[in-house]
Amino acid sequence: MHQPASITSSLAFVIPEIILVVSICITLVLGLFLKQNKSAVLVLVTGVAMLTAICFVVWNWPHQPEPIFAGTLRTDDFAAFFRVLFLSGGSLTLFISLQKESATEYVILIQAIVLGACLLAMSMHFATVLVSLELVSLSGYVLAGFAFNKSSSEGSMKYFLMGSVATACLVYGVSLIYGITGTLDFSSQQFVDTLIQSQSGLILIAAFLILAAVLFKITAVPFHLWAPDVYQSAPTPVVAFLSVVPKLAGLVLFIKIVLAFNLFGQATLDWRVVIAGISILSILIGNLSALAQTNPKRMLAYSSIAQAGFLLAGVATLDLAGIHATMFYAVVFLLMNLLAFTTLHFFEKWKALPTMAHFAGLGRVAFIPASALVIALVALTGLPPTAGFTAKLLVFSSLWSAWADSGLTVLLILFIVGLLNTVVALYFYLKIPYYLFLKETPPGTASIKISFTGNLLVIILVIAIIWLFLNPGLLMGWINRITFVL
Amino acid sequence: MPYISFLIFIPIVTALVALLIPARYTRVFPWLTVGVNILQVFIFILMVIHFKVDGSLQLIEKHSWITLSLSSWGQLQAEYLVAVDGLSFPLVGLSVVIMLIATLSSWHVSKSRKGYFALLLILNGAIIGSFCALDFLLFYVFFEFMLLPMFFLIGIWGGPKREYASIKFFLYTLLGSIFILIVMIGLYLSVQSPENSTEVVHTFNVLYMQNLENFIPGSVLDATTTGSWRLWAFVLLFIGFAIKLPAVPFHTWLPDAHVEAPTAISVVLAALLLKIGGYGILRFVYPVFPDGAVYFSDWVAGMGVVSIIYGALNALASKDLKRLIAYSSVSHMGFVLLGIASATTEGIAGAVYQMVSHGIISAMLFLIAGVLYDRTHDRIIENYSGLASQMKHYTAFVLIAFFASLGLPGFSGFIGEVLIFFGAFQSQSLNNLVQMWMPIVATLGLLLGAAYYLWTIQRMFFGPFAVRANFAELNDLTTREYAMLLPLAIMALLFGILPQILLDYINPFAESFTSMWFSLGINANP
Repeated sequence: MHQPASITSSLAFVIPEIILVVSICITLVLGLFLKQNKSAVLVLVTGVAMLTAICFVVWNWPHQPEPIFAGTLRTDDFAAFFRVLFLSGGSLTLFISLQKESATEYVILIQAIVLGACLLAMSMHFATVLVSLELVSLSGYVLAGFAFNKSSSEGSMKYFLMGSVATACLVYGVSLIYGITGTLDFSSQQFVDTLIQSQSGLILIAAFLILAAVLFKITAVPFHLWAPDVYQSAPTPVVAFLSVVPKLAGLVLFIKIVLAFNLFGQATLDWRVVIAGISILSILIGNLSALAQTNPKRMLAYSSIAQAGFLLAGVATLDLAGIHATMFYAVVFLLMNLLAFTTLHFFEKWKALPTMAHFAGLGRVAFIPASALVIALVALTGLPPTAGFTAKLLVFSSLWSAWADSGLTVLLILFIVGLLNTVVALYFYLKIPYYLFLKETPPGTASIKISFTGNLLVIILVIAIIWLFLNPGLLMGWINRITFVL
Repeated sequence: MPYISFLIFIPIVTALVALLIPARYTRVFPWLTVGVNILQVFIFILMVIHFKVDGSLQLIEKHSWITLSLSSWGQLQAEYLVAVDGLSFPLVGLSVVIMLIATLSSWHVSKSRKGYFALLLILNGAIIGSFCALDFLLFYVFFEFMLLPMFFLIGIWGGPKREYASIKFFLYTLLGSIFILIVMIGLYLSVQSPENSTEVVHTFNVLYMQNLENFIPGSVLDATTTGSWRLWAFVLLFIGFAIKLPAVPFHTWLPDAHVEAPTAISVVLAALLLKIGGYGILRFVYPVFPDGAVYFSDWVAGMGVVSIIYGALNALASKDLKRLIAYSSVSHMGFVLLGIASATTEGIAGAVYQMVSHGIISAMLFLIAGVLYDRTHDRIIENYSGLASQMKHYTAFVLIAFFASLGLPGFSGFIGEVLIFFGAFQSQSLNNLVQMWMPIVATLGLLLGAAYYLWTIQRMFFGPFAVRANFAELNDLTTREYAMLLPLAIMALLFGILPQILLDYINPFAESFTSMWFSLGINANP
């Protein structure tokens, strides 16, 4: 057991989260009283809060692994890295939403999800996992219905029902684990020792139940079925956010739990095979289903299922190099997915886009968002000169070396399936550039006015994606210093 | 002076500048592009002056680009490493000339000129980058970077079926480059840089990959490892470049892409992009996997022979002039494959010579098809007859191009093919890589080549004048068209009469290429 750290001394380690809580309270009060420029002020306040929180996390670098709150949370570089990522994802989403009239609740829910995700990144205890995961999930269900129309409510309801089942699985799995090990702290020696000794089949059932709930958040196959409906019906900025922050929060949790159940390689089951299998299935099913889609958001939903497969591919190695590659991928994924959905949002605000054919010729009337969308899609495909290529190169390099070291054929299959799927992915990603630029502009199409801040955001994201390709050393150097201990 | 970097980045930077110019200044864009092209020609002339012909790499520029330390598996190192040698230098020269001519031939593009010329400039930089990069990652980046501009150039400015053709082109070539990527990842993780002995540095440097001593013992692609995957790697890498070449049966994207692309893009596609396939085999596949090259030599040579015959037969059956030329490209690139497979000095030199020569001649052929298409918007051979009586100058150029392409002595095509045949016939006695019957069958391709060209001339240019297509006026060549065709015709003749100009560059490369094989003990025991 960890030394129980006192609550007051622990508070110093969660200042970013405290800032978020305070900011939530302030937004709540401000939302009641403000009449004019409400959304601008709210976004400004939360934006400043999130940036301060980011500064705090970065300021305290490097974070010594320190159990806090009686060992339920732990601060370390790994968690800090993802906290920065979640906070950035949250601020960027708010920046996109600045365009529209953001209700108070909207801003609060986004902050709540970021808060939950940050806590999740630090969780070392199933109780905190459960609480923070629910914070993320419940806020997500509400956000998904934020368009307040029939299909949006339906999507939200679907998300809620399936999400509840996932949570139920998680709770059941956790209860089984508690019964076997007598502890909920999955980083503790007691947890590892009992699991190594008992080797009962029940552990596997519990582990699968827990991981199912986590994979639901990552939208990995076979727990992906909710994603297309929700993505299609929810407001686009919300989808941008849901496809990034909760998904990456799920990924962090997945890495932690899988490493815990891997028992330093002493588990009866080779978890690499399981993860590789899920990854192969996600890539294949995500990409092949995306081929048939005509709705752009639905297509991106399936693409994001396939991306989940690529995120898991690095984890499948269960070694440090693979997890580092995945962290790099996570950053790039955040940038490119946000860019894709942001530009999509700009187009949608101007004109409804129920099918991709509605993009016909828009590249000529809105050059900047259209080319940014093309760059985002090229990055999602994984072609140079975008960071999407570098990220895939690193993930697949780690896969190759893991295969070369272990001789585990499933890793080679994942390597080949993943790379060959780039061609499949290109086919459906290409549909949007195809309509944007290759088709004629329908007569009478007015030019799109995108606000200055909108264009600025898009250009910043594009530069980031290309810069990370030209110079991945800085980010990767930062990631490389993160040693991961459970 | 970083000549090569100037060649690569001046067009790319200019393309970005062009994007900032408002689209309404439509006259600026072609002039800007042609200015860049002329500047490139001057830079190339300076490079010729500084190039020392001794078989070594010249004008090397080396800067560190990506250095990542990767916890458990050492360090990843990719460099900005560009240089030219006897293989790439003639091809760079070809690129510079062809891009200038491509710009001239797209002078009257009317649809979104800004985008067109910006993409053409990006394509220009990427092509030269591919020829000069000696770091595998850098090469791969340039290689992939060509695809997107090409996709848009075919898809926006192409013919009636352009959308289908552009997507087919993109998917096919991407499949090839994924094969290359698979091998690239395996290679760099199996190779360590000899520069650093204290720590394992995984390098993308192609020169290091070509030396078997740099492979990490026991790694997947090490030659000494039992159960090595080297043969598989050879096959994947070879197919990756064979799609680009294209060799039968990986050629099906080519006729569509060629027929639908606008004239200038067909020219670039045939004259330069196909060469990257041959260049890739000579630079990456053969030197890195000589064992695979020996093991699969029959297949490589056989694929070459099949391409020669199959391409020629298809050309013979083509009704569309552009399709005929496209299939003749398949046939001529088959010779390149046959020359490479022989791995003799003559064969290799012939393959490089044939690539340059085909670059010149195919560019001419596509321009010729474009001249006719501009006037009548019809390319069906049987709709024309007796053109010689109406378009005398045009016919003269057609005759030059056709005869050069069918390998008439005195033109560059002849030298390339003769050298390839020398190499291929020698190979059985010298290293037993290419069986004697293969070049014998390949000579049939020459015969078929003569047949389809002469038949086309007879059908289209001789006899009474008649055109079954809508056209306003069938004028002879304009000054601009002269300016495009004349330099190419002169080059085809010059390299046919004085092959030494080119062979002085190519031979040292071919000799060091084959001597490397001798040193590997591969040619020693037939």
